[in-house]
Amino acid sequence: MRLTALLAMAARVKVPPDYRYGTSRPWTVGAQRMNPPGKKRRKVFVEPIQPEEWSLFKGDTVEVLAGKDSGKQGKISQVIRARNWVILEGLNTHYRYIGRSGEYRGTYIASESPLLVREVALVDPSDRKPTQVEWRFTEEGERVRVSLRSGRILPKPVVQRRDGIVPEQWKDGPKDTSPDDALEKTYSASLKTFEEEITGATGVMETRAGRRTFWY
Amino acid sequence: MAATTVGRVLSLCRQFQKGLSISTVLPLQQTKVLTACKAQRSAFRPKFCLLHINNMGTSLAQQCRALHTSQWRRGLEAFFDDTPNWGEPTVKSGAPWTAKQLRTKSSEDLHKLWYVLLKEKNMLLTVEQEAKRQRVQMPSPERLTKIERSMKRLDTIVQERENALRLLQTGQERGRPGTWRKDFFGRTFWYRFKEYPIPWYLNRRYKRKRFFTPIFVDSFIRLRIESHLHSKILKKKADLENKRKLQEKFSRFSART
Repeated sequence: MRLTALLAMAARVKVPPDYRYGTSRPWTVGAQRMNPPGKKRRKVFVEPIQPEEWSLFKGDTVEVLAGKDSGKQGKISQVIRARNWVILEGLNTHYRYIGRSGEYRGTYIASESPLLVREVALVDPSDRKPTQVEWRFTEEGERVRVSLRSGRILPKPVVQRRDGIVPEQWKDGPKDTSPDDALEKTYSASLKTFEEEITGATGVMETRAGRRTFWY
Repeated sequence: MAATTVGRVLSLCRQFQKGLSISTVLPLQQTKVLTACKAQRSAFRPKFCLLHINNMGTSLAQQCRALHTSQWRRGLEAFFDDTPNWGEPTVKSGAPWTAKQLRTKSSEDLHKLWYVLLKEKNMLLTVEQEAKRQRVQMPSPERLTKIERSMKRLDTIVQERENALRLLQTGQERGRPGTWRKDFFGRTFWYRFKEYPIPWYLNRRYKRKRFFTPIFVDSFIRLRIESHLHSKILKKKADLENKRKLQEKFSRFSART
């Protein structure tokens, strides 16, 4: 059963237009159990926020305005755009058992619940209070978030890459091309097709005329 | 858990090593397969005897052993990773080639790069298949996606250049000729031409294809048009209803901002 489940996960998942997104990714087993192919779930209305207007990123510090942990500040660990959700580290938690098998009840862990975008607010670093934020352009032409109360710029948080690579500390492996070779320009525009250029370079002379073919 | 998986991957690689090493004594199963092939060949061409000299007294396996050299095994090293990477749970790999970088390369460079990527892809697919066989995690599967993306981008750039040249020289938008045709059910579609060695009036299978709509299909076409218009109206209504609901629920937010 596990192998077939794994194989089913392998192909890219096609999601119907009225799919109800949850906290698990659509290709995981849990999400497929919640949304099996034939099931139609009640429609959730998601506030249409334009992509340019979106101002919350992973790693931002925000304050919760409503809910169990209102007034507390936390870091965003996950953003789910499809439902306008943010999941904060360690806030708005409920408790559940994980890794149940047979008689063993599993480990008791705190799992975070998602919060809507309107229920959280970005924290102004100067006075560490929640503010409203607007997108504006700097003198150089860079688009930045500006706190409406104090006018301070909120820089986009630097997040570590998922594969753990730090570009500044990268060392090329034996199969990696050096930056000079990768950026070297060898292309010169010509009126030859790709095949003609290759055969010209290798000096292959094709003297055979192919038999007559018909296209229809 | 990690130790056992590493152990299994190591044994996986040791099996690779065994496969690579040249052995003087061939396993009997292989000789059986090969002799089966050779027997067939000798049956079809009785004059040409593959097994030379004394056939009497020696077994078929012994005769084949004399023929088998290491030539058919050479070059399989390309299907396997570098030796230091064997048994590692993760292998470091750089970023894939971007379309912008590939556009600066000449056709020869792209041609060579394609085959370099292809050989690397074959190696990774071998590793993937062996990991599946051993029921073990493949080390760093993101390498495969990087290679596939690089190859796709390379193909895109070659297509771009060919498209530009064709447009310039002939004005044709498509490389493969085609035309708009009506199928049996009255639907208009883009029919792409195929290359044949014989003209269409001699091609019996092609003549059986019908690119026209008979008269009795007209009523069904009308029904299809009606259902298409109905679905358009329904979609419009659904969109309006959706908009109204969103307004009702979220208008206060847009008013605030």
